[in-house]
Amino acid sequence: MSAVLQTGALVCTLGGLLSAALVLAATRDVLLSLRVLVDLLVAAGLLRLSGDADVGALATAAVIVALRQLLSSQLRRDLQG
Amino acid sequence: MPRRGGTRSGVLAIEVPEGLLPEQTLRHAVDLLVRLVEAAGALIIFTGAVVAIVRFVALSVRRRHEREFTSVRLGLGRYLVLGLEFQLASDLLKTAVSPSFEDIGQLAAIAAIRTALNYFLGKEIAVEERELEAEHRPP
Repeated sequence: MSAVLQTGALVCTLGGLLSAALVLAATRDVLLSLRVLVDLLVAAGLLRLSGDADVGALATAAVIVALRQLLSSQLRRDLQG
Repeated sequence: MPRRGGTRSGVLAIEVPEGLLPEQTLRHAVDLLVRLVEAAGALIIFTGAVVAIVRFVALSVRRRHEREFTSVRLGLGRYLVLGLEFQLASDLLKTAVSPSFEDIGQLAAIAAIRTALNYFLGKEIAVEERELEAEHRPP
């Protein structure tokens, strides 16, 4: 199952990069494209953590999601005003 | 030999014949269930990601409004939260057969972290929904 999960995570990562690039080209909105990329990277991270994940890896994922919230609120403030 | 039943301090003990449900069988059954529930969680997350990627590409090609991209992101967030709920369910199932206190402690830590992840994702979805509603509202 591990190989399948790793492949799924890779698909999500590549899809995230592609989607972010297309969203940036279509809307010229850096913040939106960054959010799209981070959303799909979180999906990839959660897929990688499925199965027999250890506490350290899960804690890293939780910290990333918390940091992501902090960064997006800061970026929103910087880019919108 | 079945175990002796009877009452002690007003509690009725049920007779369970030995060999009816051996520990090893129970362990295998729970392991299988854990795998199934974990696979379901991973499948939900993967499906959500693929659906979101397809919709992002389609919206980008048609050059739609930013609001529509946000609604796709909200959909993806809901898939992620649902997938995490399934992973939490598998953590709970694992506690049924964890043999040592150390295993239970590790499971508790994992479940706590997954709950925190779930909480943050849920909070983010709520914030985005509020923003989307505010945009829809007439001035």
